Amino acid sequence: MASMTTNSTTATEDAAPDADAVPELELADADILDAMRHIPGYLDITTADFRIIYHLAHAHAVARLFHGLTAGRLMRTGITGLPPATPLGAAARSFVEQGVKTLPVIDPDGRVLGVLTETDVLRQLGAASFLELLLQLLDGDGTLGDRGQDTATSAMMTTPAVTVTEHAGLREIMTAFRRHAGRGMPVVDAQGRCSGLLLRKDFLTACHLDESQ
Amino acid sequence: MSLASVVADYLRKMGGTTPGGPPRVGREEVIWSWIGAFIGIGAVGWLDQHFLTGTDLTLMLGSLGASAVLLFGTPRSPLAQPRNLIGGHALSALVGVASWQLLQAEPWLAQAVAVATAIALMHLTRTLHPPGGATALIAVIGSAQIHALGFLYVLIPATLGPLILLVVALVVNNIPRTRRYPEFWY
Repeated sequence: MASMTTNSTTATEDAAPDADAVPELELADADILDAMRHIPGYLDITTADFRIIYHLAHAHAVARLFHGLTAGRLMRTGITGLPPATPLGAAARSFVEQGVKTLPVIDPDGRVLGVLTETDVLRQLGAASFLELLLQLLDGDGTLGDRGQDTATSAMMTTPAVTVTEHAGLREIMTAFRRHAGRGMPVVDAQGRCSGLLLRKDFLTACHLDESQ
Repeated sequence: MSLASVVADYLRKMGGTTPGGPPRVGREEVIWSWIGAFIGIGAVGWLDQHFLTGTDLTLMLGSLGASAVLLFGTPRSPLAQPRNLIGGHALSALVGVASWQLLQAEPWLAQAVAVATAIALMHLTRTLHPPGGATALIAVIGSAQIHALGFLYVLIPATLGPLILLVVALVVNNIPRTRRYPEFWY
């Protein structure tokens, strides 16, 4: 059984990990026997039984530790999304005012149309990073003002956006973050309306159980 | 699922799952197991010999040898804990005496019922202690002296004998740095 699991994981490495988002070590008999040698006294348990107990206990511990870790609880609310017609200049100001690097692009009903990131804006301005933009400015490049300051958000955004629902747990959030490179992603309610923004750093902080306890 | 694959799965189970059992324990463990069992069985035997010789009572019971294996050979085992030791012996003795008294006309049946029922009862009461099966069986196949004890067999020797072993296990198993006993009481 164990070897089958390993094979199927290897064969479909691009598929979303449906079972073991929290990596679980496959213990060899030698590992268990070595541990048993460190414990004085006779332990009347087989390596196979120990492995079964370990797997079940691990699954239980993961469920216990990450219970209640949902996108709805970790997301930042009060984020103002961008209407698709927002020009570049206003979008950039919105990033700065809200202190984030990712914003959902929403229609009048609040539905998520796409995601606009700082990188998208920079690309429109002809730079891959702030540093590059800065260098261009230091070099006296006067063309910045002509680089599509009026470009609509809808022309720069990434669509469709990778989103998670408010109920998404550890595994779904991990999978979603694996699917795109952004620092945050919109959280949507059952009707697909944006209810908040989940930042990768908030998620990682919540996962860092040692410090939160 | 075809019959062939069912049979194949069934037979494969007989191959086992594990390459060998738990590792051999160190020399210190062997020595402490020996010391514990020596003092434990020695205490029961000495008391039996000095106080009960000539009476109708006995303290020594074959199944105490098996209990000594658990108490001093595997003191960490759930099977070796006080609840299991005392409960397993006492309940099994009860079952054994009852089986003998009700079914002595068919000794083989009395023996089978005694051991099987003892196991079931120990399971249900979380007192599983393998030597209990022997205690139940001894109540049936035992000597005329054992049969004459009737339900007194449950107390002496089937509860008192294990109690003496328990005291020795508490004293001896907590001496070595690497041992402690019990893991739980109840």
